[in-house]
Amino acid sequence: MLKHLTKLADRLISLSALLGSVALIVEVVIILADVIGRAFDAPLVGAQDISQMSMLILVFGAMAICDKTGGHIAVDVFEAAFPHWLNHSIDVFSALIGAVIFALIAYAIYESSKISQMLHLATNIIYLPKVYFQWIVTGFALMTAFAMLMRGISLAIIGKEVEEEAGI
Amino acid sequence: MSAALIGGLGMAALLVMLLMRVPVAFSMFIVGFCGIAALNGVNSAVSLLASESFTLGSSAELVVVPLFILMGNVATATGMSRRLYDAAYAMVGSVRGGLASATIIGCGGFAALSGSSVASALTIGKVSLGEMKRFKYDDRLSTGVVAAGGTLGILIPPSTGFVIYAILTQQSIGRLFLAGILPGLLLLLMFIGMITFLCWRNPKLGPAGDKLSWAQKTVALRGALPIVGIIFVTIGGIYGGIFSPVEAAAVGAGLVILMGVWFKTLSLMQLWLAVKDSIITTATVMLILISAHMINPFLALSNIPQTIGAFMGGLEIPAIAVLGLILLTYLILGCFLEGFAMLVLTMPIFFPVIVNLGFDPIWFGVLVVLTLEMGLISPPVGLNVFIVKSVARDVPLNKIFAGVFPFWGVMLFSLAILVAFPQIALFLPNSMFD
Repeated sequence: MLKHLTKLADRLISLSALLGSVALIVEVVIILADVIGRAFDAPLVGAQDISQMSMLILVFGAMAICDKTGGHIAVDVFEAAFPHWLNHSIDVFSALIGAVIFALIAYAIYESSKISQMLHLATNIIYLPKVYFQWIVTGFALMTAFAMLMRGISLAIIGKEVEEEAGI
Repeated sequence: MSAALIGGLGMAALLVMLLMRVPVAFSMFIVGFCGIAALNGVNSAVSLLASESFTLGSSAELVVVPLFILMGNVATATGMSRRLYDAAYAMVGSVRGGLASATIIGCGGFAALSGSSVASALTIGKVSLGEMKRFKYDDRLSTGVVAAGGTLGILIPPSTGFVIYAILTQQSIGRLFLAGILPGLLLLLMFIGMITFLCWRNPKLGPAGDKLSWAQKTVALRGALPIVGIIFVTIGGIYGGIFSPVEAAAVGAGLVILMGVWFKTLSLMQLWLAVKDSIITTATVMLILISAHMINPFLALSNIPQTIGAFMGGLEIPAIAVLGLILLTYLILGCFLEGFAMLVLTMPIFFPVIVNLGFDPIWFGVLVVLTLEMGLISPPVGLNVFIVKSVARDVPLNKIFAGVFPFWGVMLFSLAILVAFPQIALFLPNSMFD
């Protein structure tokens, strides 16, 4: 069961990393198109709106893989001095607290999306509805919370992370 | 319970979590969220979390971060940074200690492509350490030079350190980038001066490399032309008023990708890995920023910055001594904390003090970034030293730290020069922006 859930989490991580990567490429292309267009008096209308919303997908799409690859900065000065059980407990605690944090982010942004939907909030130039992007961020945050929860449970139950099968 | 007591407890909890190896972003987030919930209610904390996450995640100014990181990553993948090093070697490699000086120049050149010190140390380290070993350079000098030279990445623009400082303190990114140029060049020259001095005192540290013919020099310099061109277009574009920093970053990233494709030095897999690495680094930075924006209001609500500011302002010492105390704090914190996290954690406390004392915030930004650089090579957690160790696995860590020490001294000296002569940092921004 745990192995299946971890496999699912890994696949979701790969998918969100792919979407985040595409968002970064989109950012580069859109801004370049705007700069080149401006040189010919034909700037890309809404380039800033698109690049800002792409940034959201990039940032939250990359959160899960950032955790999976150990990308979060920690002060490990005393790691060698701590006993193994303490280091292990801290790893479990960090993964679980990370899951709580992303669940909180998902909840907060979902709640805020209700207001955006009610007030029809949109971006400044080409009026992209903000609510869709808030739902996307909610989805990414939930997925990151799920992946961190699986990592925390794996660490707590079997003492290490379940071996990944999908290459991330 | 009073706000100050809750603030104090929050700071104590933060310190414990940081020392217990809980990720910096998680520690700040938990303390910030719980602190605001305790002082202003859970709804207030949830509302702030929603607005800060969405606003920061879609910030127009922060779009620059992944783009400059991508530019550096692709430049590394396509071998552009290696060609920069080759050109530097062609110029100065044949004199005593010349390879080490070429490494410093290569680091400076790479710094103008990438905003990251770690990327500079890793990239140039991979290229130069093997070469210096081949020419029988002493391990202390070669590893020390790479670790110290890598720190130029955060001072010479584009610099992610300056971008984050600008976001945290509402300063102009363009002014900060300009302010970093002369101090960066000064530091680069002082590093070369130190190498020359060390090799003059002990010639065995850095024997002379092979002398290249004019034809070989021309080939090496020609190989670096495209990269120099990209640097000129991106950085020059910002100061020429042609691009905003975000546009310059996108143009730079686009150009290195196009050149990689054109010269067939960039495969699809290399591009994917560079992009993936860029989004991971961006996520690391952004989560810390979101967490910082959770903890900062908590600090403000608990009056901690005001209390510290009042304490420092009330000290019967001159303003310059307060500045010295703040910089000393950064130097000490830099021995234990990651530079970027340190910046985010301390800026809400120290920045108001600096502004109240009448110091120029752009100048202070340069001083802070320089002290962050020193933290990158300070024991026990000097990140650049560990990066160099990952490349030079056979060199003991204490030997690398010993090699770094003279350069740390150079940085301290240049910090003193910048404190004494703020014009070095302020000359370019003041003359080009006013």
